[in-house]
Amino acid sequence: MNHPTRQRPVAAPEPGTGSSGPQLPPGRLPAVDGEWIDRSRSLDFTFEGRRFAGFRGDTPSSALWAAGVRVLGRSFKYHRPRGVLSMANHDVNTLMQFGPRLNLRADVEPLEAAMVLTSVNTHGGVEADRARLLGWFGGLLPVGFYYKAFHKPKALFPFWERLFRRISGLGKLEFDAPHVRTPKRYDFADVLVVGAGPSGIMAALTAARAGAKVVLVDENAGIGGSLGFQRGGSNQALERLRDLEAQLTAMPNVSVRPGTLAAGWYADHWVPLVDAQRMTKLRARAVVVAGGVYEQPAVFRNNDLPGVMLASAAQRLIYRYGVKPMDNAVVLTANADGYVAALDLLAQGIGVPAIVDLRPDGEASDLPTRAKQLGIQVLKGHCVFEAEGGDRLTAAVVCPIGADGKPHTSAPQRFACDGLLMSVGWAPAAPLLYQAGTRMSFDATVQQFVPRELPEGMFAAGRVNGVYCLESRLLDGERAGAEAARYLGLEASSRITARPAETTSPSHPWPIVEHASGKNFIDFDEDLQLRDFHNAAQEGFDNIELLKRFTTVGMGPSQGKHSNMNAIRILARIRGRTPGEVGTTTARPFFHPVPMSHLAGRGFSPHRETPMHARHADLNAVWMHAGIWLRPEYYAVAGKTRGELVREEAGAVRKGVGIIDVGTLGKMELFGPDAGEFLERVYTARFANLKTGMTRYAVMLDESGVVIDDGVVARLAPEHFYFTTTTTGAATVYRELQRLNAMWGLRIGIVNATGAFAAMNLAGPGSRAVLAGLTSLDLANAAFSYLAVRVGEVAGVPCRLMRVGFVGELGYEIHAPADQAVRVWDAIMASGAGVRPFGVEAQRLLRLEKGHIIVGQDTDGLTQPDQAGLAWAVKMEKPFFVGKRSVEIVRKGGPRQRLVGFELDATHTGHTGPVPKECHLVIRDNTIAGRVTSIAWSDSLQRHIGLAFIEPELAAEATPFFIRADGGVMVPARVVPTPFYDAASERQKLAD
Amino acid sequence: MSYPIRISPLAGAVAGLRPPLRTVHGMEIPERFPGEADRWQTAVGVCDLSAFVRAGVKGPGAEAWLTARNVPVPAEANSWTPAGTGLVARLARTEFLIEDGFGDATAARLPGALQPGEPGVYPVPRQDCALALTGIAVNELLVQTCNVDFASQPAAGRIVTLTQMVGVSVTVLRSDRGGVPCYRVWCDGTMGPYFWETLIGIAEELGGGPIGIANLFADAAT
Repeated sequence: MNHPTRQRPVAAPEPGTGSSGPQLPPGRLPAVDGEWIDRSRSLDFTFEGRRFAGFRGDTPSSALWAAGVRVLGRSFKYHRPRGVLSMANHDVNTLMQFGPRLNLRADVEPLEAAMVLTSVNTHGGVEADRARLLGWFGGLLPVGFYYKAFHKPKALFPFWERLFRRISGLGKLEFDAPHVRTPKRYDFADVLVVGAGPSGIMAALTAARAGAKVVLVDENAGIGGSLGFQRGGSNQALERLRDLEAQLTAMPNVSVRPGTLAAGWYADHWVPLVDAQRMTKLRARAVVVAGGVYEQPAVFRNNDLPGVMLASAAQRLIYRYGVKPMDNAVVLTANADGYVAALDLLAQGIGVPAIVDLRPDGEASDLPTRAKQLGIQVLKGHCVFEAEGGDRLTAAVVCPIGADGKPHTSAPQRFACDGLLMSVGWAPAAPLLYQAGTRMSFDATVQQFVPRELPEGMFAAGRVNGVYCLESRLLDGERAGAEAARYLGLEASSRITARPAETTSPSHPWPIVEHASGKNFIDFDEDLQLRDFHNAAQEGFDNIELLKRFTTVGMGPSQGKHSNMNAIRILARIRGRTPGEVGTTTARPFFHPVPMSHLAGRGFSPHRETPMHARHADLNAVWMHAGIWLRPEYYAVAGKTRGELVREEAGAVRKGVGIIDVGTLGKMELFGPDAGEFLERVYTARFANLKTGMTRYAVMLDESGVVIDDGVVARLAPEHFYFTTTTTGAATVYRELQRLNAMWGLRIGIVNATGAFAAMNLAGPGSRAVLAGLTSLDLANAAFSYLAVRVGEVAGVPCRLMRVGFVGELGYEIHAPADQAVRVWDAIMASGAGVRPFGVEAQRLLRLEKGHIIVGQDTDGLTQPDQAGLAWAVKMEKPFFVGKRSVEIVRKGGPRQRLVGFELDATHTGHTGPVPKECHLVIRDNTIAGRVTSIAWSDSLQRHIGLAFIEPELAAEATPFFIRADGGVMVPARVVPTPFYDAASERQKLAD
Repeated sequence: MSYPIRISPLAGAVAGLRPPLRTVHGMEIPERFPGEADRWQTAVGVCDLSAFVRAGVKGPGAEAWLTARNVPVPAEANSWTPAGTGLVARLARTEFLIEDGFGDATAARLPGALQPGEPGVYPVPRQDCALALTGIAVNELLVQTCNVDFASQPAAGRIVTLTQMVGVSVTVLRSDRGGVPCYRVWCDGTMGPYFWETLIGIAEELGGGPIGIANLFADAAT
């Protein structure tokens, strides 16, 4: 074990801390055994502009409650005053803002020195919230009212939208909030136990004793669960907990992690664990869910007044924080836990004038007798009809309740009190079980959904499993831990083999009291009242999923942890069904709010750099992303614009010699006696007949005949091909080729050599002369013709050279081993021939002048080769290639679009108005007739040129059409043949 | 054996730190970094070992071809074996990575020994970024960067893992040095600068950082 029950700080006081004074605030109890606060460390803070002091280990809520503050926040809709409800991470009406940290959960977040806290969702502060006036109009704002209002008249909608955006929302987002680093990490365990209450601890101990590596997590700051705070006025439970802690300490293979939320479940038992610093993605071989239960509120008029709280909240205030929750409390109960809570109050000197038991026969154990002996009045078959008070509770009105759940209000009793505890039932903390696919069923004995069929490797124990008696929970934990260990193949035994049965229900089937004046809240997040559910059902939303969406029950920050069970009961009663028949909704992961910073974590954005990256940086490259690669878009020169530089770089290639790094191209090696046959099948052209020493353009289709990639195939030897793919397509193509040959079983070997080779394209009329000075290869046309490939040394480095013409000039694509390529680049740049590096933008312009397409830019996910003008590269006479059958089918119908060249109307030469951009629409007769795929200004041609997909009937040469540019400006254009430049393609075959 | 002048894929990434360099097999790599003393023994160190020459072969005939050239071949896929001062890793049933140590030239010779048309044996050019991740906190570095449970792999197990770290495809094996956990990691050289900078950033948060080859190999100490 590597964590104590509760980490006690031992560091020196920080700024803002000081020694605690001798006087305790009136709401602070004398030291309580097992409390989580460190009374030697006082922390100063402010709330709503007022100064307060708490202790280290406090939460803002506990410190404020100890200081007598009762209004901690305002409700979402009616802005009603709200105080403590659960002290268990579900007090969503008391969210607070601390600087850039918004919606801080004041009931559980640790208090820090010098905190400056404000309540969220108020207009004028929590005490004088002007928006509380909304409560007066509650009758006019039934659930779902906004679905039916505000959209008419349409002209007013923006007004309403702005209004609601201004008054709704929780917290104020600060856009200059500092970036919080929350690196994620992975972790691994044999058994993950979720929940460190008695059953969880026993499960962890049992699995660990069998030899498993166990991680035990609990969202609370300390472990022990109810053992720490449901004490019944004695310390027996605490001593039990300390014994269990000691056993955990003795187990080195148990990692105990308090303050850690298991926020979801994913396949293969991946569970995100969220703590204050980070999210840990833990993979367990088995998971034991012992997350316990959420205490559920009773429903009666004004059940939200500050001072009305769950019984467990009062117990947490006492035993965790040493806070006196109230002076006098009525306890409303329907189980033994309420009596235990009453004894806990009495033990701290808190008056308990009455225990109000909803059950006609009351509690069967000896607890009522003990309560009466201590002077408490026990009222069986009674309910709280309403609570009284303004901004805090002042009295509880109690009356008998009939078997039908109706209050008998003829003779009410009024109890003056400042506290009212609700202990009427529980709901399982089962989101992880649901997410894992557990089949749950409603067990009427315990009035709770319990696991009926658990998925492989999942186990449940304790209250979430419907087991409530402490001894039974310990046994159930032992059983679950042993089952998890045996699931892993370890030897383990347990004293029981099945879930122990309960004899009485800890939850009342109908803890709901109607009231003509309403304000009997079901969902505190959204201020949903009982009548809202009846209205929803009346509107026809009588399915739990529909009811949820119409009423928004369970859609607030607590995600229904306190409302879903009562909502199910209400719907079941309306429809005459059982809760089991109504069913539940499933909370998606993460089932509890998690800071966005945790979800984001450390950002990993991989990128690739070619071996010449540093050289480009030295040349002032302006970088762009090309897929995962960083490439020079162009090379910056002081005083010149991007457009000027791109045109200069292109001009250098046309008139002199340029060099571009094309190492980002995918590069594949293909070996074997069937290599030619393989290429015949995967590409549309012929390759079996490709001569050694020659290259050929290659187009790849998918099964539906869509162009997915292109490149150049070079034959280096009869059984050895080297070919390129697009920059972004390399990995996909490699995977696809492997997949295809797994089916075909040809005698080949494919190697993805993309990173192993660097590549550069030396292009321009002067390229041959530059290269001649660096290689012994014969570069004469007769020896090294257009489309030939040669292997030889360049600058002493073994290279592969291909004479290709993507940019439309004499050029050599030089491929060199990655670790030596810089030598080649440096030698070329040092040749003294004025070689100018050019970037991607210049290359795009140059290839556009030649009418060469870029797959992915001038094609899309539907483009057939005929549409893109690639019919010449498709050899239908071949018996087979991938996509051939689809091409045959499509050809019968003719293409729906054609890629054509166009130029802007001559009047646009020198045009200063808007110039169309890629993806702008082609318009003909006021209808969309296509779109632009590429467009650029060509210095060589002195006009704007481009490629566009247009309807076939517009594809004839000289056909005019319009392009709708920015601002809706219609720019005239006309179809022209490609290539735009060097139509006869003489320049790339330039003679010696 | 003479080697051509080679450039590490991390040359640009480490240049700013101006470490003294040492040439190994024709490639300059950092010999040591300022302030690196005991970094790997107290926290975590990241070392560029890209200079070691590597060769790859694959194909149904690869195992027999290697065996015929007295290259020790691991019996199982995803395992490795020492070979001189280097190693041979079996990446899959029919794919192998051979890396030379300081005193070997096996990987350097193999490509030349593979004749065109050799049935069922194909060369795989290796231009990796090769790292050593080492130190007592190395597992923390691994769990922040990879979802494989390396800590549960026995040091003597000689397991080869092909996975992803920080979004990069990697080959990983454990080869402890002096009783300190040490993982060898290979990735595509073009991913190297990103990979290095990301790992160094995390290592520095853990109190570690880059280390030179002299810190790991007595052969490289001057």
